[in-house]
Amino acid sequence: MAEDLVLDTAIRDWVLIPLSVVMVLIGVLRYFVSKLMRSFQVPDPKIVKEGQVIVRARNLRAAANFIPPKSFRSRRVYFSNEENGLLFVPKGQAQNAQAQMFSDPNMAMDMMKKNLSMIIPQTLTFAWVNFFFSGFVAAKIPFPLTQRFRSMLQNGIDLSTVDVSYVSSRSWYFLNLFGLRGLFSLILGEENATDDTQRMMQMSGFGFDPSKSLSAEKDGLDIVQHEWALPKFEHRAEAVLKKLVN
Amino acid sequence: MVSETEETQLNSLENQVDNGGGGAWEYLCLVRKLKVRRSEKVFKYGLSILNDPKKRSALGPEEWTLYEQVAIAALDCQCLDVTKDCIKVLQKKFPESKRVGRLNGMLLEAKGSWSEAEKAYSSLLEDNSLDQVIHKRRVAMAKAQGNISEAIELLNKYLEIFMADHDAWRELADIYVSLQMYKQAAFCYEELILSQPTVPLYHLAYADVLYTLGGLENLQTAKKYYASTIDLTGGKNTRALFGICLCSSAIAQVSKGRNREDKESPELQSLAATALEKDYKQRAAGKLGLLTSALRSMKF
Repeated sequence: MAEDLVLDTAIRDWVLIPLSVVMVLIGVLRYFVSKLMRSFQVPDPKIVKEGQVIVRARNLRAAANFIPPKSFRSRRVYFSNEENGLLFVPKGQAQNAQAQMFSDPNMAMDMMKKNLSMIIPQTLTFAWVNFFFSGFVAAKIPFPLTQRFRSMLQNGIDLSTVDVSYVSSRSWYFLNLFGLRGLFSLILGEENATDDTQRMMQMSGFGFDPSKSLSAEKDGLDIVQHEWALPKFEHRAEAVLKKLVN
Repeated sequence: MVSETEETQLNSLENQVDNGGGGAWEYLCLVRKLKVRRSEKVFKYGLSILNDPKKRSALGPEEWTLYEQVAIAALDCQCLDVTKDCIKVLQKKFPESKRVGRLNGMLLEAKGSWSEAEKAYSSLLEDNSLDQVIHKRRVAMAKAQGNISEAIELLNKYLEIFMADHDAWRELADIYVSLQMYKQAAFCYEELILSQPTVPLYHLAYADVLYTLGGLENLQTAKKYYASTIDLTGGKNTRALFGICLCSSAIAQVSKGRNREDKESPELQSLAATALEKDYKQRAAGKLGLLTSALRSMKF
């Protein structure tokens, strides 16, 4: 089974390269369309405030040793106080973020638009690839694979004796789908709408979940032990001055 | 805060442009990036670029940013007609723009028509209640009208939402110090130190406020912060050196008769005094006599 199939160079000229070129063009087109369709989203004051609270709490944790212990303690109480501490989120509110995202009509529309702009070109290109470029071996993967990949990579090829390394053009399509992300970030700059894989990961994480980060910050703040660094500075200043004077 | 390398770069560019060496556009871009306030130069060079149609078309889409920059610089130099022209051009190009609306508000502010400016800003805030720049302009207006308490109120409300904005904390600290509300000013300076612990300026200001508040504990804390300033600036900050001497003598006075705890750094005062003398010898030898007599009178 280890015979080397010789693949026609015409395959390279007429299948692999056009497929890549078409995918790049479609990606660029999608980027411009998404730019046109982007609506201005008014930032939610609550979310902005929470973001800023987190930054401030993080600063407090990081530089806690630079301020006197009394001030640190009063700030810690201000943040993690049970009644009206900024970081304290009662359990009931924790689930709000997701429900809010669904009920807010603007956000739902936005998400739908983004999803559509991702799904439609993908579906169309996939169908096009299947229609035109199926039924033949398109490329050979340079490393050997197990038999399990046969159904995934060799979809159009109905011979079961062909080595799994020989794949159909569908797998080239998938390879391009994930691989062109780097190319797009080069030509389109950061923040392009073609970042499908990132979007897919985001869909499972549901974006900004403020309550979790707040409670994480609160826990971090509770753990911090204040060790005032300033007395050390007096010694260091002495050393500096000694060097300066002598 | 502008770093040292950026400052030297800015100054060298400025010299180059002043002496007719070209590079005005780079200078303007750098000023815009660093957000420094060099309004006269910006006004002069920006206007010369804008009035020359060839140079103007060479800028392309950056032309509008330059119009905005020159408009603000003209407001600072009180050339309101230039500002009006710039705003007219921008309005023709971007009719519904919030940035142009903001410039209009600033123009009304500069003319002194406070109520109209307030109306303009509130209408802009209705569209987007989270526009940081407009909030800050309202605070500036209140301060310019002399209504300091309202400025404090507005600034506090702003900081409730945008509490990570260290420029606002700095402004609030300045206002409190001007009103002698030192405890509140100390709080603001603590916030600044928390967000940027390696900037010696904040340590110094905090130490100043603590020293002004007085009381043994505050004086000791102030001394520590003067020491940290010295550490962060490598001993070159004269004010911190003076601060150490003054703090030590004040502590000695306050704790006269009480058991003096063993100082952790007994040599600090004498070292600071020596460093001061050395500095004065180098830079202002004429005043050395004043210095030595003052230090002697502090006698620790």
